[in-house]
Amino acid sequence: MMNSLIYTYCLSNSPPEFSEDDKEQGLKSLRFDDFFVIIKYVSETEFSEENLKKNIGDLKWLEENARDHIRVISMIMEHSTVIPFNFGTIYQSENNLKKFIDDYSDSLTEHLIHLEWKEEWAVKIYCDRKVLNKQIDELSEEAAALEMQIMASSPGKAFLLKRKKTDLIENEMDRLCKNYGQDCFNECRNLSESTRLNNLLPKEFTGREDTMILNATLLVRKDRTIEFISVIRGLKNKYSDHGFDIEITGPWPPFSFISMKEKK
Amino acid sequence: MYDNVIDQSKDITILELLDRVLNKGVILKGDIVISVADVDLVYLGVKLMLSSVETMEQLKSGNAILPINPGK
Repeated sequence: MMNSLIYTYCLSNSPPEFSEDDKEQGLKSLRFDDFFVIIKYVSETEFSEENLKKNIGDLKWLEENARDHIRVISMIMEHSTVIPFNFGTIYQSENNLKKFIDDYSDSLTEHLIHLEWKEEWAVKIYCDRKVLNKQIDELSEEAAALEMQIMASSPGKAFLLKRKKTDLIENEMDRLCKNYGQDCFNECRNLSESTRLNNLLPKEFTGREDTMILNATLLVRKDRTIEFISVIRGLKNKYSDHGFDIEITGPWPPFSFISMKEKK
Repeated sequence: MYDNVIDQSKDITILELLDRVLNKGVILKGDIVISVADVDLVYLGVKLMLSSVETMEQLKSGNAILPINPGK
């Protein structure tokens, strides 16, 4: 069966250079005025509306294809500015793709200017509350004061105060997480051109024992990447003894910083 | 310059990957796109997969993780 559908990876501001492997894989670029769209022709069997819907239910298929999607866009991103399409954006003809480009050309141009020489980075901060809890008397004056009181009290009173301290510790840990998260976020904001805050992910999604306290995405200038990494590393070291951990991933194509507006 | 960066980058879990490619970028503008409802179903599948004991073990040992190699 002929590959008649157009699978889109991204749009770029300069003509891409494909290796022999890429060409063999079917990667092509279509030019529309000053825009280059990186595409491959795909089959109805795999990517028709109905079959695509079926296929994304197969996690292995989805993982392989999602990975390929990122790989190709990351490769293009090395030499030019890109606007990533989300996975599974398919056009039935070059004309339909051209119509999209025409309808959104102003917005596409604005995005290319805004995103030039920038990359997306993800920053996630986690807190191991057990570790933090153990150091609470050192980190919280209130907790330390209450502990002193407990030690000086009769057993009966100490029992009640200990219960009070349990509540206080929870509040104090929340406060410390908030302060630390804010401190890191402020640093991140200083180092980046734009930021997005995402939902915190539960443990079943992160596969980690500790709790996520910040999930942010940043748009960082390529010439500030080294500085960005070194500041994050500094923050990570600064607070690691208190049970905090920072995880960064990237560079990603700027997926999180696209919002298209149709031409009026 | 990227060698230094890649060393710092953590491996990418499938969730982080899917979160980007399914939910972000230029969305819902093609002739064929993956609907929001279908994306929800994908997440349900991923959630089921991740809550299986085997996957959690793999995640911990790093075997179920997708590396990103942007410099290559």
